[in-house]
Amino acid sequence: MSKETASPSLLTAVKELPGNVWKSLFRNPLPTNDLERSSTSFTNFFLHIHPVKVHKNTLRPSYTLGLGLISFFLFMILVVTGILLMFYYVPSTTQAYDRMLDLRGSVAFGTILRNMHRWSAHGMVAVVVMHLCRVFLTGSYKKPREFNWVLGVVLLLLTLLMSFTGYLLPWDQLAFWAITVGTAIAGYAPIVGKDIQFLLMGGSTVGQEALLRFYVLHVAVLPAVLTLSIAIHFWRIRKDGGLSRPADADPTPPMEMAGSAADPRPSTLDGKKTYGLQGLVRGPLTKVNNIPDNTVFSWPNLFMSELFVFVMTLAVVLVLALLFNAPLEEPVNVMHPPNPAKAPWYFLGLQEMVSYSAFWGGIGVPGIFVGLLLLTPYLDRSPKGVGKWFSRDRLLANTIFLTFLLANVIFVIIGTFFRGPNWAFVTPW
Amino acid sequence: MAVSRRRMLAWITGTGLVGSGVLSAISNFVFIKPRATYGQPQRFSIGKPDDYPAGTRIALDARRICVVREGNRIAAVSTTCTHLGCIVGLADTGFACPCHGSRFDSDGTVTGGPAPRPLPWYKITLAPNGEIEVDKDTEITPGSYLTL
Repeated sequence: MSKETASPSLLTAVKELPGNVWKSLFRNPLPTNDLERSSTSFTNFFLHIHPVKVHKNTLRPSYTLGLGLISFFLFMILVVTGILLMFYYVPSTTQAYDRMLDLRGSVAFGTILRNMHRWSAHGMVAVVVMHLCRVFLTGSYKKPREFNWVLGVVLLLLTLLMSFTGYLLPWDQLAFWAITVGTAIAGYAPIVGKDIQFLLMGGSTVGQEALLRFYVLHVAVLPAVLTLSIAIHFWRIRKDGGLSRPADADPTPPMEMAGSAADPRPSTLDGKKTYGLQGLVRGPLTKVNNIPDNTVFSWPNLFMSELFVFVMTLAVVLVLALLFNAPLEEPVNVMHPPNPAKAPWYFLGLQEMVSYSAFWGGIGVPGIFVGLLLLTPYLDRSPKGVGKWFSRDRLLANTIFLTFLLANVIFVIIGTFFRGPNWAFVTPW
Repeated sequence: MAVSRRRMLAWITGTGLVGSGVLSAISNFVFIKPRATYGQPQRFSIGKPDDYPAGTRIALDARRICVVREGNRIAAVSTTCTHLGCIVGLADTGFACPCHGSRFDSDGTVTGGPAPRPLPWYKITLAPNGEIEVDKDTEITPGSYLTL
């Protein structure tokens, strides 16, 4: 070995250790110029999901209301608090309820963790629905974002399933009767209904097997599916060109470059040639110094907004968790359902519908509703009115959507306030 | 047209891989479907006829039945709602479900709410030791009592 490159002495190595470890973790210093701002997003695994630059429209709080981000942050809070709760929970019909009491009585931070988990779950259902409304009312499901809309609907269903499987675990009265009713509704599905009911319950009556099954769904199966779907949802946002924006939000490129913008695969691509990544990028090939665009660097603009939304979300969840305790009903009494036996608010619309017809309320109408939601971007193919709240071009679609939404809200209100013992109609005043 | 050896091998490989994938997916469902379940016994004794005086309706909640006695006739009516499986409570007019508002008269006939079928009546026999035996596996025509 030659001595030309003198290796630094051990002392120097120790002295420079902190700096070197830092530099091996983060390849760039805090950015001071545009090149470094790009590298910051580009070279960090966690930031790499973001584009180097984002459109200014994306950062308008009044456009997105930050709802997608809030859903994601709530999910993160749910994962963290959920994992912590798993340290004390036992999915056993004889122990589950006692463990809930332990959380309340003898586990440090037990109450607040359970509260955070419960209120984040309620919040996530609400925020995911609001996010769906935002995307619909701004026409953002339209080409090329059709599939991401479909993924979004799947994420809504997964959120509801997560919530449902979750509130069964304390094995209180709500849990037992909700499993009884929920699996019975599944039993009304045509052809496979009875088999699904049997698989969910792991037997012919609701008991230990059912609790264990819902536990496994809640802590392993559904979170895995949900995480994967969220990852694809985010990845598609970038592949679909970022969040939607109105057509006039971008300056028109000069004529000689306009050709390839509309065509996802420019005709100049030749199937027999070898291409690098940049050869496949859509749109005008280069913008540098040519077009004044409406983008800003993700660092710091996007990251600071995200940090702000995260801190706000966490703060609200913490305050709610400190002020209000998560409900825990009486321990399971197989012989007496509470009267009236009510689901959490977001399922009360469903319960109200089910009280008219088990099949139509539990399978038929929700099935049609979800089917219509999934098909929305394939039925409404007019490219007009994207990126604008309540665009006049989308009056019909928005009206239909809001009608469905309002119907469900009315059912929820009826179920919450106007139903008394034996599900009889009562007036709350 | 003759299929080349390479194409045929590719086809067999592809079919094998997809087939194994489908089979393993199905086997998951076979795995999670229990072969044996451990439920409550469906035939059980509910005591002597003297425990149920004439004219009473006594709900045995643990068994999910209601014992009805009129004079010297006795019957067992299910208290599991035929709508979504909640347990119905005794009401002045018969039975009422607290979950979705199904209503039944004292014979179990639907009088309101979403229940699709009347409450089933179970076969009831007098065992040699003088106790009443209920068989929840056998449904009988509503209205058919056992005369003591």
